[in-house]
Amino acid sequence: MQRGGDDEGQPQRFSYARADLPARITSLSLFRLAAVWESFRVAIASLRANKLRTGLTLIGIIVGVTAVIAVVTIINGLNETVAQTFSSQGSTVFTISKSPQIITSREDFIKFNRRKDVTHEDAEAISRLCPACWRVGIAANAIETVKYANQKAENVRIRGVEPITMFDIDGVEIDTGRIWTESESDSGREICVIGPDMLKNLFSDAPADQAIGKDIRIDGRPYQVLGVLEPLGSIFGFSRDNVVYIPYSTYQRVYGARRSLVVFIQVPAAEQLEAAQDQVRTIMRNRRGRALDDPNDEGFALETQDVFLNLYSSATSNIYYVTLGVASVSLLVGGIVVMNIMLVSVTERTKEIGIRKAIGARRKDILSQFLIEAVVVTALGGAIGVGTGFGLAYLISALIGFPLLISVMSAVLGVGISSFVGIISGLWPAWRAAKLDPIEALRAE
Amino acid sequence: MSNATLTLSPPESEVKPTTPLDGHDPTMLISMRNIWKTYQMGTESVHALHGVSFDIPRGEYIAIIGPSGSGKSTLMNLIGCLDTPTQGEYWLNGKNVSEMDDDELARIRNQEVGFVFQTFNLLARATALHNVELPLIYGGIGASQRHEMAKKALSAVELTDRMMHRPNELSGGQRQRVAIARALVNHPSILLADEPTGALDSHTSMEIMDLFERLHSEGNTIIVVTHEHDIAARAHRVVSIRDGLIEKDERIK
Repeated sequence: MQRGGDDEGQPQRFSYARADLPARITSLSLFRLAAVWESFRVAIASLRANKLRTGLTLIGIIVGVTAVIAVVTIINGLNETVAQTFSSQGSTVFTISKSPQIITSREDFIKFNRRKDVTHEDAEAISRLCPACWRVGIAANAIETVKYANQKAENVRIRGVEPITMFDIDGVEIDTGRIWTESESDSGREICVIGPDMLKNLFSDAPADQAIGKDIRIDGRPYQVLGVLEPLGSIFGFSRDNVVYIPYSTYQRVYGARRSLVVFIQVPAAEQLEAAQDQVRTIMRNRRGRALDDPNDEGFALETQDVFLNLYSSATSNIYYVTLGVASVSLLVGGIVVMNIMLVSVTERTKEIGIRKAIGARRKDILSQFLIEAVVVTALGGAIGVGTGFGLAYLISALIGFPLLISVMSAVLGVGISSFVGIISGLWPAWRAAKLDPIEALRAE
Repeated sequence: MSNATLTLSPPESEVKPTTPLDGHDPTMLISMRNIWKTYQMGTESVHALHGVSFDIPRGEYIAIIGPSGSGKSTLMNLIGCLDTPTQGEYWLNGKNVSEMDDDELARIRNQEVGFVFQTFNLLARATALHNVELPLIYGGIGASQRHEMAKKALSAVELTDRMMHRPNELSGGQRQRVAIARALVNHPSILLADEPTGALDSHTSMEIMDLFERLHSEGNTIIVVTHEHDIAARAHRVVSIRDGLIEKDERIK
């Protein structure tokens, strides 16, 4: 065949002209790179060829990572909410009440119920006798339906307070209008300061100044609106703005003096808290001492906001541990599944391993090929788990109402841990593949 | 029986003694000296090879022939550095490979030996081009050079137009030519073919043997292991193995 210079299609000469061989890359890292990329390519191809098997393999890993990511994200969001909520009152406030806010047994409930009510006189005694106390106030709550014109709001917290420094102790501020004066309070008039939810539910979200001077009805009685509070937001789906403040004297007149009230004591700085608590405890013991049936019972409860924080953190740490347990078990099971599948894969591909060894793959080439395959599977599972975990957290946060804090750290951790599971469970199958005898392996079908 | 070992060797008198050689010949590409291969079968030792010695110069076209069970496969595995002898010395291209470990042997297989198998042994999921590139990947050759070399090797077996096909899209003869390209791509010292036409029809077999002839004429050293006499007859030298020993070693061209 005649051709001019162009030898395409004509067989190339192949001989021992080894002088024109390209320089071999002797640098170990570069050498590894080509083999590692080959391993990665093979891993992807083999996972794609066995989609169903890959999917089933991934389930354990996905469940584990999803659980961790969802719980961590949700708890981070809740922590943020709780931190914001309790910082408005801070650690300078404590309370004296008839019974603690959290009762854990029936016996306790009966015991606390037998105690004397905390009264206006108790608050006055504390105010008079406790030099470390800065502000002392009383508050009592009732739940009522509130109406304005043809609109109504249900389950509104009616909070009777005295004196007006209780607004400061509660950490709420006036947005529009004013708080009542002391003389207004003393006269027991039907006046109120409303939380922002009232604007929304009774005044169709009208500007705050349109509510000022209007009469709302609580349990049928008209109360004139003097002011509107700044919003506080919600916690665990419960709005903290669904409230109406009224003077305690009015509250007492309407709801009776027989209900036990709560004395709020605030100190100027957290350092004085303990001293103030000691003084208040002494004062209250003196006042209760004579009237006790049970000599072991103080007859009153002294609490700080730590009660909630402690309850909250013990609840969340339990959730953490349970999740950690679920995640560990599913990652363990996932790891065993991956190991099993890798062993199957090694057996199925014995011939391929033999071919690769025959043409020059070393033990570590085969080892890394199967390790990479295991890590690719588990990292993929981890990535899917991170995605579904965030998705789940998003759904729950939207349902309950707390901020969604997506942390990159937990995503990295999710993929990292699952990759680690891949390395651990891939090691043994990969080692078995690596030490196969090439002659035996080539004989396999 | 003087001992408990099971050997397949016939009485000494019937075997043509192999040339007694002391030390390897450094001018030879392959130099084997007194190679023994013994397998342990339970408590018994089976000698697959007992004391094989021969030399192969560079550029030779040699056939190793023998019936099944003759030790021919064992010898091929040793020549191909898939295995090491129990005893004896094997020098390949100036290197004593008889005492190398697994990874050193892998390196030698990668750079000195090009295998052609009866059943082709291509990776089913990879294209022809990728199959041919595989030895270069393990040889640490960069991607662009790898491509170039693989294309050149495929062109040498006249498969340029089938580069992107997978093995199941190729005929038996084409698959074997891909395997030959893979064997040649790293410019090995020897092309070692194990029953290269065993899975092919007679027409395709002849094509493959023609290709071997051409590769030989281009300077390659070719070793064909077979039990078929007409395939062996295409070589220039035929070594017959029987019962673990070289029975005959003759130049026919």
